[in-house]
Amino acid sequence: MLRTEINELLTQTGPGTPMGDLFRRYWQPVLLAEELSANDGPPVRVKVLSERLIAFRDSEGRYGLMDEFCAHRGVSLWFGRNEEGGLRCPYHGWKYDYTGQAIEVPSEPETSNFCANVKLKSYPLVRRGDVLWAYLGDPARQPPLPEWEFVTVPEGQAYTSKRLQECNWLQALEGGIDSSHVSFLHSGSLDSDPLFKGSRGNAYNKGDLKPFFEVVDYEGGLLIGARRNAEEGHYYWRVTPWVLPNFTMVPPRGDHPVHGHFWVPIDDENCWAWSFDYHPTRRLTETEVAAMRAGMGVHSANDENYRPLANRDNDYLMDREAQRRGETYSGIKGIALQDSSLQESMGPIVDRTKERLVATDAGIIKARQKLRKAALALAEGVEPVGNRPQDQKVRSVAIVLPADQSFVEGIGEAMIAKPGVPQTTV
Amino acid sequence: MTQSGPISSCARAATAEEAAFRIDYPLAAARNTRVVALDVEAEEIVRRASEMRWAQARFYSAADPGHSLLTMSGRTVPLAGELEDSNTLVLVSTSGENAEAAATIGAACKARGIMTAGLAVTSGRLTGEALFALRPHTRILLVPAEDDDLFELLRATRA
Ligand code: FES
Ligand SMILES: [Fe+2]
Repeated sequence: MLRTEINELLTQTGPGTPMGDLFRRYWQPVLLAEELSANDGPPVRVKVLSERLIAFRDSEGRYGLMDEFCAHRGVSLWFGRNEEGGLRCPYHGWKYDYTGQAIEVPSEPETSNFCANVKLKSYPLVRRGDVLWAYLGDPARQPPLPEWEFVTVPEGQAYTSKRLQECNWLQALEGGIDSSHVSFLHSGSLDSDPLFKGSRGNAYNKGDLKPFFEVVDYEGGLLIGARRNAEEGHYYWRVTPWVLPNFTMVPPRGDHPVHGHFWVPIDDENCWAWSFDYHPTRRLTETEVAAMRAGMGVHSANDENYRPLANRDNDYLMDREAQRRGETYSGIKGIALQDSSLQESMGPIVDRTKERLVATDAGIIKARQKLRKAALALAEGVEPVGNRPQDQKVRSVAIVLPADQSFVEGIGEAMIAKPGVPQTTV
Repeated sequence: MTQSGPISSCARAATAEEAAFRIDYPLAAARNTRVVALDVEAEEIVRRASEMRWAQARFYSAADPGHSLLTMSGRTVPLAGELEDSNTLVLVSTSGENAEAAATIGAACKARGIMTAGLAVTSGRLTGEALFALRPHTRILLVPAEDDDLFELLRATRA
């Protein structure tokens, strides 16, 4: 249960809100690189943290991200002409460069300096990996560029997708921290999904359906360890890192690529669920990429606007027969939609005053507490964690350890991302 | 609503407008929680939490190895009686002392199907004796827990 004020504090991320200010201390993924694939290509609308923006790639390949609406009379620059080093409003021809600076106002005399005083608010937009990242905060506080391993591995070793999720970011994130749902909701997928099946860890998973949990409070966020019985005197650990405010990674299975997520607020009632898969030491195979493109693993099959084909308008293609047969636990196909269908069903912003949390929800309780404290501390001038390279060079881990070892000691350096070093997995 | 085309059940049900019709009624306190401190420092944390208002939570100390279980006012009480009607038990340790008490309580909870949680309040340290004293007997463990985690856990679970 959360009081209404705290629910609002954590779920509202628009400009000037405490959580909004917190999010504005981090580089956030806002577009797939494929959305701005060519110089002078079509501009793309971006809504993030309740701000409506326009993104474009100019004639020299520079990325711009700025106020969607023309400074003159408020026309959407989505209709703009992207040409010769800037984006031109089609109404009266005002033209802006990639920083939002007006560079031409055709109605003014050629020698006028009017332009110099017209600038659309803009934010840095940079490419790392297959993702374009934006920073919407105070320029003086801009953190170093993102160092997440999935965007720093060599070309061909990562695949990233995004899908629209029609609910508040926090209930989506909480699904990523809520390890106890995996034994139920996703129980059908371990054997059938090509991106999960066939690892030794799966046998431990299925041999012990009631894991124990240890929630470790560490520098960048939380490490959530789920422990199951392995061979005599040993435990099988699955360790999920959560890095503030909205990043999680799923523990690996065998030599399959490792995956994880970001949940980025669009506005308070929608978010982008970002899903990535990568392998630290090898290229993804064609078969793997084909499966990811087809929406398997943590990905989903989407329409051209990145909305899942199975969505609330078609009841997520609910299959009661598959549910009855036990092929899927909820009747919905695929991990991604299994999660989002249920999270969307809670309503756009779930009313947390009505929850009945149980002790095994302690990870969620702790994450909310850390978010709340970070947002309130920032208002007092204390800078948050999670935006430093050392917080981001993190990995999930699957490992078998002696029963008398703390998992943090047992995994040691395994949770630190190191170029060319394989993931620790079972 | 101004939606064109057929409105399927999920499309309609998941809107903010429809969410507002979620019925409203008082929820009974779901958890009948017992909190047990395993050492003197943990007792301080538990005592502070016990001074707040709770629905049904009750607070104890097993810090003194001589006694089985003491209430916050120092009265010795039988474990079995206190576990009657309970469904959640939280063990709090700072030092790992009295691991036997943790084991006795853990076994009693297991026999009665009572969910156990543990707080290893070892500020700044990710491992230590408290972790190992609690681990075998708690389904979920916070390490290192902070002083206010007990309060947060109890409040979030409507204890
Ligand atoms: S069982 Fe968890 S939401 Fe219903
Ligand atoms: Fe899930």
